[in-house]
Amino acid sequence: MLNRTFQPELKAIDHIDFIAPVKYALNEEVSLFHMRDVADETCRFDLYFDAGKCRGLKGVPNFVNGLLLSGTNQKSSIQIQEEINGKGGFFESGVSVENAVISVYCLRENLWSIVETIADAIKNTAFIEKEVTEFLSDARQKLKINLEKMSYLAQVEFQQRLFASHEHYSNVLQLEDFENITIDQLKEFHATHYLNGLSKIVVVGNVEDELVSNIKTMFQPLALKSPLAFEKGLKNLPGEHIVDKENAIQTAIRLGRILFNKKHPDYIDFLVLNTILGDYFGSRLMANIREDKGYTYGIGSMVAETDDTGYFLIATEVRKDVREDTLNEIRFEINRLQNELVSTTELELVQNYMLGQLLKALTVLMP
Amino acid sequence: MIKYDKFTLENGLTVLFHKDITTPMAVVNTLYDVGARDESEDQTGFAHLFEHLMFGGSVNVPEFDTPLQLAGGENNAFTSNDVTNYYDVLPANNIETALWLESDRMLSLAFTDKSLEVQRSVVIEEFKQRYLNQPYGDVWLELRPLAYTIHPYKWATIGKEIKHIEDATMNDVKAFFKKFYTPSNAILCIAGNLELEDVKSLVTKWYGDLPKLEKPLRNLPKEPEQNEFREKTIERDVPANAFYYAFKMVDRKHADYFVYDTLSDALGRDKSARLYITLKKELNLVSNISAYVTGSLDEGLLVISGKLNDGVSFEDLDQALWNELEKVQKEQIHPLELEKIMNKIRTAKEFGDQGILNRAMNLCSYELLGDASLINKESEMYHQITPEDILRVAKVTLNKTNCSLLKIKSTNAK
Repeated sequence: MLNRTFQPELKAIDHIDFIAPVKYALNEEVSLFHMRDVADETCRFDLYFDAGKCRGLKGVPNFVNGLLLSGTNQKSSIQIQEEINGKGGFFESGVSVENAVISVYCLRENLWSIVETIADAIKNTAFIEKEVTEFLSDARQKLKINLEKMSYLAQVEFQQRLFASHEHYSNVLQLEDFENITIDQLKEFHATHYLNGLSKIVVVGNVEDELVSNIKTMFQPLALKSPLAFEKGLKNLPGEHIVDKENAIQTAIRLGRILFNKKHPDYIDFLVLNTILGDYFGSRLMANIREDKGYTYGIGSMVAETDDTGYFLIATEVRKDVREDTLNEIRFEINRLQNELVSTTELELVQNYMLGQLLKALTVLMP
Repeated sequence: MIKYDKFTLENGLTVLFHKDITTPMAVVNTLYDVGARDESEDQTGFAHLFEHLMFGGSVNVPEFDTPLQLAGGENNAFTSNDVTNYYDVLPANNIETALWLESDRMLSLAFTDKSLEVQRSVVIEEFKQRYLNQPYGDVWLELRPLAYTIHPYKWATIGKEIKHIEDATMNDVKAFFKKFYTPSNAILCIAGNLELEDVKSLVTKWYGDLPKLEKPLRNLPKEPEQNEFREKTIERDVPANAFYYAFKMVDRKHADYFVYDTLSDALGRDKSARLYITLKKELNLVSNISAYVTGSLDEGLLVISGKLNDGVSFEDLDQALWNELEKVQKEQIHPLELEKIMNKIRTAKEFGDQGILNRAMNLCSYELLGDASLINKESEMYHQITPEDILRVAKVTLNKTNCSLLKIKSTNAK
């Protein structure tokens, strides 16, 4: 008779095969990394630019990033989109605090054709007035919709206090930014941070070395010429801040601090601590605030890095009447980590889980 | 070409095995043939609430997540109007832990009161977070009952209202499990670097002694043909006016399903689609517009949705949209346009079949449609589509009498 009460014997993860990319230097500062181990026809292509939010104010970094495919003096935005979509490509772009990234997903047979289109669009962006006006109008509508979301409001307030020590880092997009922007500001940012701001290229896909080399040559003129340098010694502004939002039926909470990045000797230890506290389904915050009390659909914590430092964040949306209870329980769980040793059982579980995640991450090249 | 083996246990459990030697991970995916369409109208949201309870411990194992995490694995699940799907991803050499956990919760749940009470609260917070506390979050709660009059697609997976979730009792939960969570109502797919013989013996070991029970019969009301234009306007405190045109279309098994999908791509998949170019780039009426199909197993919807620019009226949009829809009914689309759409479909398919988790889930979905091998025939089905097909389908579909229109009128838009 099968005994269902005992877990089948477990085997440890004894080794992980890491794969390394091939590196091509564009110059002393900038490299292209190629990962060739992809078993199918898919391909991914990322361009990183030194064009993050910290490089400008008043929405300029976001606007320029959003306008990269808006047309050149020779080609309309419609033509550019036709060329990418017609070859089956998916285009994405985004801006983080210290970086701007554009990504393309396509079949490898179409990679070169799409790369050519994108290189031309980025190198020759004309910031045509009609396109800029339309883009700003759409972006303004999106911001107005975001301003109705509790999670967005909490995130924005959090970011302002997290990066309080530096104006560019704490800067968030405001509705009035849309009124004051000029095309010259956009052109200037584009010239500095895109035409001379490429910081990294990543190609993932089973493509020939020659093609990769051609991509390198194609983007070489855009490469940064001096080392990337970012703000050091960022400090957060401690304290509690409440935003009242009429008619909201849940409260969004964001809580955290400036911490450190992977250059710090405690980084790996902190990753384990973070997982125990809030970064997996069985975490202490989930077990307490979701699975025991039912206050929320989800609560999690995360560690993020910036160039010089990093930060730690706990995020959740909870029932309106349990805001204070939730904050107390978060404090309770943090105190517990500070005053009681984690049991060997829990630590072993989290270590196994994290190793499994690492093994998995290495096998899925496209998230 | 995605290869797989298939076998069936005596208790009716269908098992698929997909071998992939390139990964050290394995997937155990379980699809139960039950979704929100199987609920009764006064107890909606139940299939999804039940999905949450499946993590509350089973008859022999007090916790589901802990042993799986200890094995280096993770899991999740989702519920749709059609199905409920559970998956575990873990290092292949620990696959037995996933089979132990999944087979035990197929055998029976622990049914603790605490689990029901907590998950009831969690699901109510999910309802608020995703559908009520978001601008435009309740659109599908409104659009479904407009487009469907009697078919259970008229309510959303989360449920019609919070009250139905509040009222669920332990007896309801037990009855639901007994009826739907049987081996014969499930499709199991195992993927990873394993051998077929080992998979067979492990699956037989853990699932073989589960009792054989009847597969529940499904007898859903068929939605009558729509012969009238339906329109509803709701006022909401949102920043912009939004529109949702929903057209009835065929079910997932119908030969024309892929034609509808292609038609929706031509109209509004991306920034080179017809509606985007005309209504946005040429006429500047909308901030965004897209078209898509719901992909449901029973008769679905082709939806065109978007948001108006400030100062544009619903009437302006309506006129321009119907003009554009008329064109696709009068003139065949150019073979070159079709070819471009097919390129995008091919890319999406290649990414969609990437990784063992996607493949295991897709194999189960196709097996539910009738045959897992359809996964390898889909590209051919798209490839055979002609401009005549698109024209024919556009003609019978994109008509006012086949359309339900939901307008979200902003109480503060200019």
